[in-house]
Amino acid sequence: MQTLKRNILAVPILVWIGLLVGIPLIFVFVLSFLSRDSLGTIVFQFTLQNYQRVFSPIYLRVFLNSLLLAFLTGLVTMIVGYPVAYITANLSTKKRALSIGLIMLPFWISSLLRTYGWMILLGNSGIVNNVFLGLGLIDRPLSMMYKFGTTLIGTAYMLIPFMIVAIFNSVDKLDRSLLEASYDLGANKRQTFFNITLPLTIPGVAGGFTLVFIPALGMFYVSDLLGGGNTIFLGNLINTQVTRGRNRPLAAAFSVAMILVVLVVISVYSRVAKDDREGLFL
Amino acid sequence: MTRKTSRFSSFYLSLFFVILYLPVLSVILYSFNASPSTAQWTGFTLDWYRVLFQDRVIVEAFRVSMQVALVTAVLSAILGTASAVISMWVTERMKKAIQGMMILPLLVPEVALGIALLIFFNALRLPFGHVTLVLSHSLFCVPYVYVMVQLRLKEIDRSILESARDLGATTWQMIRTVILPLVTPSIITASLLALAMSLDDVIISTYMSGPRTTTLPVHIFSMMRVGVTPKVNALCTLILLGMFFVVGLSQLFNKKQPKEEI
Repeated sequence: MQTLKRNILAVPILVWIGLLVGIPLIFVFVLSFLSRDSLGTIVFQFTLQNYQRVFSPIYLRVFLNSLLLAFLTGLVTMIVGYPVAYITANLSTKKRALSIGLIMLPFWISSLLRTYGWMILLGNSGIVNNVFLGLGLIDRPLSMMYKFGTTLIGTAYMLIPFMIVAIFNSVDKLDRSLLEASYDLGANKRQTFFNITLPLTIPGVAGGFTLVFIPALGMFYVSDLLGGGNTIFLGNLINTQVTRGRNRPLAAAFSVAMILVVLVVISVYSRVAKDDREGLFL
Repeated sequence: MTRKTSRFSSFYLSLFFVILYLPVLSVILYSFNASPSTAQWTGFTLDWYRVLFQDRVIVEAFRVSMQVALVTAVLSAILGTASAVISMWVTERMKKAIQGMMILPLLVPEVALGIALLIFFNALRLPFGHVTLVLSHSLFCVPYVYVMVQLRLKEIDRSILESARDLGATTWQMIRTVILPLVTPSIITASLLALAMSLDDVIISTYMSGPRTTTLPVHIFSMMRVGVTPKVNALCTLILLGMFFVVGLSQLFNKKQPKEEI
C-alpha cells in the first residue's frame, strides 16, 4: 500500500510525456496507413500505398542516402573524435578542464550559426577560396558547396561533441590498474591500447555512434543549407512533404520507417554495450 | 608518455579546436565587413547591426523566441526536478519507467517528433503558436533537467536525509529544507541549458510555429536559405553574445555549488 501510494506521484509525469510523445507517435503510425484527396485533405481509408512509395526506387534511394550519411557521420566523428577524447582524458587536471570546456561550448552555440559558418568558409567567394586564390594555389574558385561531402562535413561538425563526450566518459572510467598491469606484463603502449583501452571503450564508442546517428538521419537544415538539395535526404523529404507537398500520410510513412531504423540502431547498441549503458544520455 | 607522442597529441588537439571554432569565428568576423560579400574585406562597419534593429520581423521573432524559451525553461525546471525528486521514493520498477519515458523524446528523430506533434495538435484543434511551441520544447528540455538534477541527487549523502528524518521532518519538509537547497545550483544550470536549447531549436519549431508566431531560428533559417548576407552574420553574432552571457551565468552557479558534502 505504501509503495503504491509513492508510485502514484510518478504517474502524472509518465502521463504527461506519454501524452505528448506516445499518442502523437500512434497518430503518425495510423496516419501512415491513410489516404489523402487531391487537395491534401486526409481521407480515412486504409491503404498501403504510402509504404509502397517508401520502397519505390526513387524514394528508396533517398532512404539509402540518409542511412549512408548517418553512418558516415558516425564513422567520421568516431575517427576524428576518439583521439580527442583519449588525449583529453590523459591531460593534466587543469588542461583537461579547459579541453572539456572547449568541447562542450559548441552545445551553447546556435546550430544554425555553426552550419552557416561553413557556408562562409566553403562558398565560391568564401574564405577558403579567398585564401587559396590569394596564395596562388588555385586560379579559379573551387566549387565546394552543395555536395554530399559538404553535408557530411556539416553533420559531422554539428554532432562530434556528442561522440567525444561519450568516448571521453568511457576512457575516463577505465580502470587504470588494468593499464599498469598490462605495462608490468611487458606490453608496449600500442599493445596496451589495442588490447585493453580500445576493447574496454567500445561501449562508449557505440553510445557515441547512437547519439550521432539518430540526429544525423533528420537534420534537414544542414543538408538544406550545405547540400543545397542536390542530394535528397529523409529529413528534407519529410519536411517538404509536410510543408509544401501537403502529403502528410507519405511523410508519416517515412517517419515510421525512420523510427524503425532508429529502433534497429538502438537494439544493436544495447547488444554491444550490454550492461555498460551509462555513456548514453548522461 | 614519451615527449614525441605528447607533442603530436597537443598538435592534434590544437588543430581540432581550430577547426571546431573556425566557422564560428568566421561568422563573427564577417559581421563587421563593410562589403556585403565575403569575397573581399572592405573595412570595418557596424551597419549590419543597425539594420537588424530596424527589421520588424526579426524583432518580433526574437520576442516570440524569448517568451517561449523563458516559459519552457521554467516549466522544464519544475517538471524535471519534480521527476528527479519523486524518483528517489518510487519503486525500482517505477524509476526505470520514468527513465524510459525521459529518454523517449530524445530517441525519436526530431523531424519525426515534430510531425507527430503537428498531427496530434492538429487533431486536438490546438492553435499553433506559443502554447504548442512551449509544449514541444519542454519535451526535449525536461529530460536534460531530470538527468542533471538526478546526478546531483545521487551525490547527496543519504545520512543527511536520515538525520532530517530522525529529527522529525516530514517528507515534504525534507524536500523543501534539505534536498531543494542542495540541488538548486543544478536546477538553475539545467534551466539555463533548457533556455539555450529552446532558443536554438529549428526542426520542431518549424512545425510548431503559427502564422504570426515564427521563432527566431525558423526565421533565420529562411534567411540563410537565400544565401550569405552580413545581416545574418550580425544577427548570429548577437545571439552568440547572448548565449555566452547565459553560459557565464550558469558557470557562476556551478562555481557556487559546494563540491563536497559535510
